[in-house]
Amino acid sequence: MTLFHFFNCAILTFGPHAVYYSATPLSEYDTLGTSVKAAVVYLATALVKLVCLATFLQVSETEVFDPYQEALKAMIGFIDVAGLYYALAQLTHRNISQNHKFQAVGLGWAFADSVLHRLAPLWVGARGLEFTWDYVLQGLEANANLVFTISLAALGSLMWLRKNKPKSLIPIIYTCAVIIATMPSITSYLKRVMGWHFPKIVGFELVTSLVMAFISCQLFILCQRPSL
Amino acid sequence: MADEKKSKQRHRVMVLASMYPVVALMLILVACVELCDAATVVDVYRLIQYDISGVPFGSRFSSLNHHAASLSFQRGADLSRSVLILPLRELDIGFVQDYISQKQSLGGLLILLPQTFRPGNVGGGSQSSENDGFRNLLAQLEKLLVHGNIPFPVYFAFENEETDAMLADVKKNDALGQQATATTGGYKLVISVSEPRKIASPTITNIQGWLPGSRADGDSNQLPTIAVVASYDTFGAAPALSVGSDSNGSGVVSLLEVARLFSILYSNPKTRGRYNLLFALTSGGPYNYEGTQKWLKSLDQRMRESIDYAICLNSVGSWDNELLIHVSKPPDNAYIKQIFEGFSNVAEDLGFQVALKHKKINISNSRVAWEHEQFSRLRVTAATLSELSTPPELLENTGSLSDTRQLVNEDAIIKGVKLVAESLAKHIYGHQGKDIKIFADDSSLAVNPFYVRSWLDLLSQTPRVAPFLSKNDPLIMALKKELEEYTAEVSVQHESLDGSFTFYDSTKASLNIYQVASVTFDLLLLLVLGSYLIVLFSFLVITTRGLDDLISLFRRPPSRKVKMA
Repeated sequence: MTLFHFFNCAILTFGPHAVYYSATPLSEYDTLGTSVKAAVVYLATALVKLVCLATFLQVSETEVFDPYQEALKAMIGFIDVAGLYYALAQLTHRNISQNHKFQAVGLGWAFADSVLHRLAPLWVGARGLEFTWDYVLQGLEANANLVFTISLAALGSLMWLRKNKPKSLIPIIYTCAVIIATMPSITSYLKRVMGWHFPKIVGFELVTSLVMAFISCQLFILCQRPSL
Repeated sequence: MADEKKSKQRHRVMVLASMYPVVALMLILVACVELCDAATVVDVYRLIQYDISGVPFGSRFSSLNHHAASLSFQRGADLSRSVLILPLRELDIGFVQDYISQKQSLGGLLILLPQTFRPGNVGGGSQSSENDGFRNLLAQLEKLLVHGNIPFPVYFAFENEETDAMLADVKKNDALGQQATATTGGYKLVISVSEPRKIASPTITNIQGWLPGSRADGDSNQLPTIAVVASYDTFGAAPALSVGSDSNGSGVVSLLEVARLFSILYSNPKTRGRYNLLFALTSGGPYNYEGTQKWLKSLDQRMRESIDYAICLNSVGSWDNELLIHVSKPPDNAYIKQIFEGFSNVAEDLGFQVALKHKKINISNSRVAWEHEQFSRLRVTAATLSELSTPPELLENTGSLSDTRQLVNEDAIIKGVKLVAESLAKHIYGHQGKDIKIFADDSSLAVNPFYVRSWLDLLSQTPRVAPFLSKNDPLIMALKKELEEYTAEVSVQHESLDGSFTFYDSTKASLNIYQVASVTFDLLLLLVLGSYLIVLFSFLVITTRGLDDLISLFRRPPSRKVKMA
């Protein structure tokens, strides 16, 4: 029974990535190499982030929301964005259209993130006798994270790879990108200051991810028009 | 072309072959389902398991791995794979009795005791009438469990918030008729301990302290001796909780205080009496005072013959107005008369009464109800000072679960100590009938209430069932050290408990309470997730490739044969 639960949570956490890959034209164009490269870049970014966090952050015993610490964490979070930039812009990919490039990079990035952050707790925790909703919620969070990452990758590709953008849309693109990039800080603010519990936070993340995905989708379509 | 195919096939086979050990390793890893930490872990104490001459008593099993059930279960439900949780507050003795006597199968029994019975719990003198009711109920339950042969594990635990919450949940589920099983979820109680094993050669340890009297110059005769004896070990339903504050912690404390007082007197040669004093802390009390018998037999015969009389202390901690002196020699015996008169005079001065009770020894009966009977069987005059009026049955009044610190009254012990000390002093120094108080309050020989209290508190937190006390147990070392301070010579005697009593270990364990979900829940979740992934797949295919592609996935590709032809 407990292994069953582990299996359930695993397919909730990692299933959507596989489904996304196979459902969209990504599988037709065989963009697996891009995703793998993006995953490797994520690993390197995570390492750099860890080192920075360990060096600059103080560990507080209580769950107090310290603005300076949170600001520092947000700044270190921008290393994420830098990593994404590197994966999108600097790495040489096979000749794939921009449309698919950002999807592949986002997918690889999100998959690496899920594996690194969620596989170990799942393996250790979900196999026990005790039943908690935590792992199901974690899986839902992984789904939201996937949508966020793909939206961020879309906005990133708009920012760095597309040269001719309508001037009016540029500030919107940048605001959306900033919002997505600072999602971790926003959730920690909600958890500590407003005292939201995990289910509420996961619900909020899911809703926000869908909204952000919709907005970035619209932006992408709008930006595509002039080049047509 | 054929070569390529062959090499490809070989390559494939080799890859597969190399995967086998990896797959096997993964399977092994997956199969080790670790029980990770439960949300709730509770300390539980097992019912005692023992044999008397091969007849088994107590609970015969120790490990537990079943779902929880409460008293609100539907009549006729099968409880053989459930653990019944019984709080003492709602206990129905008749129900338990029926269950045991009809030998109905039960997965296990967990009895929840109120926090007031916890050994370290000193406070809470209020609500005493409620507590008295619980005490009686607990005593009845204990008698039932200790003398029965129970084929399932029985554990005692103390109520706390987590157990209360769990019990409320279980009751709610049971009332709805959904008994917890593997398919309906609920709580699972797991105690994983190894099977209980016999304790090989349990030891009983007697500690004696010898305070010699002063010999007049030129007197070559052996000085007479007076012995003060108390047995310090206990026996109860849960050996890890048998602290026996009254039976016989009160006796031990009284003995130590009397030893302390007389050691002060005897330290000065001018006030040293013409009697030797022998203090003995014996073990094996619940088992027909076996330790006392062995100790007496080990004494030198001359020493034994020099004992004028012995006073045994048994349960002197919770009396009000009357103490009883139990004897086995007939009351018109001259020695007995003398002893009784001395005690009753002192008692009158102190403001209470002593009464004499005579019980003949039946030599053919192996049951030894009072400690003094062991002395009498070896022709030593002895009496037992106790608050109990009737001789206790085998394994009763020996430190049960309800015998906690709150049951004992320090003032009663102090009065008892004064009685014993003054009576002994009168006998030793020979002021029969004169109204002299040697151990008066506010004197340097006053009974020290703080000493009494601190030792009583210590004993009320230390379970003292003899088979579970090792030879160098800290308690035995402490008692020995204490006697060494007050007496001149201390000797410790280790004996092994006789063959008719056998004990089994595993007295304390940790209970893990898991909240488990049913198999139906998991299946449901799988269904939901499966449909979610399918919907996601279709959605993505439709939005990125178009509806036609989705439909074409399900349509069979047109037959190749037709195309080729």
